[in-house]
Amino acid sequence: MSDRILPALRRAQGRPELSRGTAEAGRRTIGLFAGLLGVATLLVLPPAVRVAGPPFIESAAATGLTFTHDTGASGQYYMAEQMGAGAALFDFDNDGDLDVFLVQGGALGGSSKPGTTSRLFRNDLAIGPEGRRTLKFTDVTDRAGVAWRGYGMGVAVADYDNDGDSDLFLTSFGPEAMFRNNGDGTFTDVTATAGVSDPFWSTSASFFDYDRDGDLDLFVANYLDFTVADNKTCYDSLGARDYCGPRAYRPVPDRLYRNEGNGRFTDVTEAAGISRADGAGLGVVAGDYNRDGWLDLFVANDATPNQLWMNQRNGRFADEGVLSGTAFNAAGNPEGSMGIASGDPDADGDEDLFITNIIGETFVLYENDGRATFEDARARWGVAQPTAAFTGFGTDWIDYDNDGWLDLFITNGAVNLIESQRGQPLPFRMKNLLFHNTLGLPAVAAKREGGRLTNVSAEAGPAFTMEEIGRGASFGDIDNDGDTDIVVTNNGGPVRLLINQAAAGAHWLQVRLEQQPGNRQGIGAMVAVERVGKPTLWRRVKTDGSYASASDSRIQAGLGESAAVTAVVVHWPDGRQERWTGIQADRLVTLRRGTGQMLPSAGDPK
Amino acid sequence: MPAAAGTMLAPAGPILLSFIALAGTPAQSKVPPPALPRLAPETFPAASREAISRQYKEALARPNDGAAVGSLGRLLQAWEQWDAAHAAYVRAHALAPAVLDWPYLDAIVLQRLVRQREAVDALRQALSINADYLPAKLRLAEVLLEVGDLQDSRKLFEPLVSVTATEPAALVGLGRIAAAEGRHEDAVRAFERAVGLFPELAAAYYGLARSYRALGRTADAERAVSRHAQYGARWPRLDDPILASVATLREDARATLQRGIALGEAGDVPGAIKAHTDALARDPSLVQAHANLVGLYGRAQDWAAAEEQYRAAIASGFNNADMHYDYAVVLGLQGKWDAAEAAYRKALEVNPLHVQSRNNLGQLLERRRDFDGAISEYRQAVEAQPTFRLARFNLGRMHLVKGDARQAISEFEALRQPIDAETPRYLFALSTALVRAGNVTDGRKAGAEAQNLAAQFGQTELARAIAAELAKLK
Repeated sequence: MSDRILPALRRAQGRPELSRGTAEAGRRTIGLFAGLLGVATLLVLPPAVRVAGPPFIESAAATGLTFTHDTGASGQYYMAEQMGAGAALFDFDNDGDLDVFLVQGGALGGSSKPGTTSRLFRNDLAIGPEGRRTLKFTDVTDRAGVAWRGYGMGVAVADYDNDGDSDLFLTSFGPEAMFRNNGDGTFTDVTATAGVSDPFWSTSASFFDYDRDGDLDLFVANYLDFTVADNKTCYDSLGARDYCGPRAYRPVPDRLYRNEGNGRFTDVTEAAGISRADGAGLGVVAGDYNRDGWLDLFVANDATPNQLWMNQRNGRFADEGVLSGTAFNAAGNPEGSMGIASGDPDADGDEDLFITNIIGETFVLYENDGRATFEDARARWGVAQPTAAFTGFGTDWIDYDNDGWLDLFITNGAVNLIESQRGQPLPFRMKNLLFHNTLGLPAVAAKREGGRLTNVSAEAGPAFTMEEIGRGASFGDIDNDGDTDIVVTNNGGPVRLLINQAAAGAHWLQVRLEQQPGNRQGIGAMVAVERVGKPTLWRRVKTDGSYASASDSRIQAGLGESAAVTAVVVHWPDGRQERWTGIQADRLVTLRRGTGQMLPSAGDPK
Repeated sequence: MPAAAGTMLAPAGPILLSFIALAGTPAQSKVPPPALPRLAPETFPAASREAISRQYKEALARPNDGAAVGSLGRLLQAWEQWDAAHAAYVRAHALAPAVLDWPYLDAIVLQRLVRQREAVDALRQALSINADYLPAKLRLAEVLLEVGDLQDSRKLFEPLVSVTATEPAALVGLGRIAAAEGRHEDAVRAFERAVGLFPELAAAYYGLARSYRALGRTADAERAVSRHAQYGARWPRLDDPILASVATLREDARATLQRGIALGEAGDVPGAIKAHTDALARDPSLVQAHANLVGLYGRAQDWAAAEEQYRAAIASGFNNADMHYDYAVVLGLQGKWDAAEAAYRKALEVNPLHVQSRNNLGQLLERRRDFDGAISEYRQAVEAQPTFRLARFNLGRMHLVKGDARQAISEFEALRQPIDAETPRYLFALSTALVRAGNVTDGRKAGAEAQNLAAQFGQTELARAIAAELAKLK
């Protein structure tokens, strides 16, 4: 019996139990099993019974996911100490469940303490003899060879060498690192041969196929020219020493590396036109914002104009941040701009952008008209006032209740002292936020006066009353029960694992893509889930976005009360479209290229 | 709405915002005024402790005196204590409802707290006291625009167009409203009028760029983007004595230093020097003031004073790339090339990414004909900041000097955009490189382009020089 049927039985008895085992559970072979079935692989799970209680349960310690980030805080207020680090959710061992990679900081300008390296935790999700699900993580860092000692910032994940397993790219305050997955549970540091390292302070990165040649290229966002030796002295409003903001330093250029297909990358930053504009890069996401079939890039720049690099389809990009309306707020001023959520919350088929900012600015939702012209719609969507008191970082659109409408999660944490916490240790603590998308509710039920997104954080349970210094956020179905869970990193604090309890009872569909020979996971593809009498759900296959983090590449589509899916159409990154029918809900479906019905080519832009 | 007396607000910390209900309700009011904010200034850093303590004690001694309470609010606002300032202003207004200052300043504080609707209410209260206070009218129009009340916002902006001091800002507001309503032709008209009155109005160029794009006027949109990038957040000056009274309250060393920095950026070098020396007199440990004075005295060509400030900063253990750079510039202006080179290298030791030091060091190396060394420095500057056009231009020149016209062309081509006052000479350099590479036709085209652009920017001598060179090609 597939492990995914079991949660329904378990939930009928109460809350799912998450336990820490002392022995390693047997490895699941779902992946191999899936491969043997042929065209489309089904992991069947009937709808579970809805359970009362908070939508998310914090379960890091209970599952063995024990990790505390080390800022290396020295009393010198080095800027890098405030920026935190990210996390990745990816299946490094191809056993069908998501493992966790957590980026570590350390002492700036010196070696880190023993044991404080970035860590890899293998997910040992197991099904016991009575069908009881056990989520357990095991630290396999040393065995895997990824005990990296750089002052880490972020992580990007993709199969850049097209050998069927996911590799890791790590950004840092200092040189970056590329770890190639050997396919046997170990990694090799291939930074030198890959040619993807420079001395700039890097933050977020994105693997995407910008030239549609079938392999994944790499964009790296770089931040500021801060150095330890050139540390500047800044003060808070009352005259006490505080961390400097981004305006105290100069931005350094981002990098675009073209994958040459032989394990090496070429720096094409200048040739691609990326060097024509600079900014203090913190977040990056790839999307097709003008729907011409070619992937563009949005870069969130801290206190400097954001960039919307529109793919010119000839190896070059043009920055249309200002003209598109995404560089500034409505008054024409740059904002904090740290984390990015790119998705389709209004189900109109195009990708909108949500950006987190610093306290006092409010967070912004740029609504796309489908042609890469955006409107600052934060007030209309109801995210302005509720976010005024927050400094946000990691974020994404997730359908946490599987009702078919994308909701919003944000992790928050200040970068400068919070006045009400003056005199306390770590006076930068904030709560996380959860917004529910009300577009799908009947008008009488939706709180229209609050906008389309309703702040439900107060009802979201203890995980949303904790005040911490949130930074990275990574999203994916960690316990393979058909809903989206979240890993949150805290600056100088413990990792948090938010297990979703809200979606039980609602129908859902997960889609994993496979293609050969290159970009085997179909990163950048757009998946359309067509339904009867309901808007099509558009979801992009991606691992980027948020802040300094990488998320599950599987598509998660909540279907609400109706399990009827008429078709799934995949818009592959090379422009071809393929359609599958007969898809059943409440399961993970693997769609292998060539096994559906190929549609006429996308051709010219819309 | 003011918080009710006795209400506990959120949580603890050195500044406790739990309210104390104080006795002495004004006889004419049925509702007691909101309580004075409770502060713990003894926990504040030294820079702010005395000033805030003093004013707080006065307010505690005279809690029903609107002026005393309002003065506390002003001081708290000057120190960016927004929540406490708001509480003080609300009480002050309740105690002295005929005084314009309190609701007006409260509105500004509420805007900082992003409580826009409450800011609207406070501004309306202010205007009910004095309907002619222009800054309040303009601010209300802008806040209404921010919250999406376009009709009410328009009604306020329209009459402000007839007032010289507010005309540009009002036109920007009307332009934004027109754009929000999809009337981009009207928006363009308004924005164009605004920049006609105040050519540095970046917000208007931003609006123009977006509306031009909506109308399909791509070239105009790109030109507007360039102009927007040229100017910071500049607005026409509107006298606001009430807000100005807050800005002058800070007499501490850091505020004085900030005023000095602003004066320096505005070009008032003597004023900036005085402010910096005043800051040092208040706090001799303010090493940043020494560092800033190096550059300021350099601009005043007082070399000895610049040297003295540099030594003072070094003696304090200050080791900042910008300071070494400024000192190097001062030395260069005196023709002390070797010492200048050493100072640039010191800056780069502290921060290898200090691009201005790279560029200037390159020029020193060029001066002693170390062209390879100059190329290395210029290249590193361009790699660290590809948008540093001057460094790229210098790199191109060096390639030309070394006879590598092809590489020079590559660098100069990258300087075509954005189009600004520097572009004519970059195009002239490109023209020269093309001709040297044997491509006379393209060289002539680039030269003609450079000449036209120079004329557009009023660079008549450059235009003449280019014309003379083009004539030789014939």
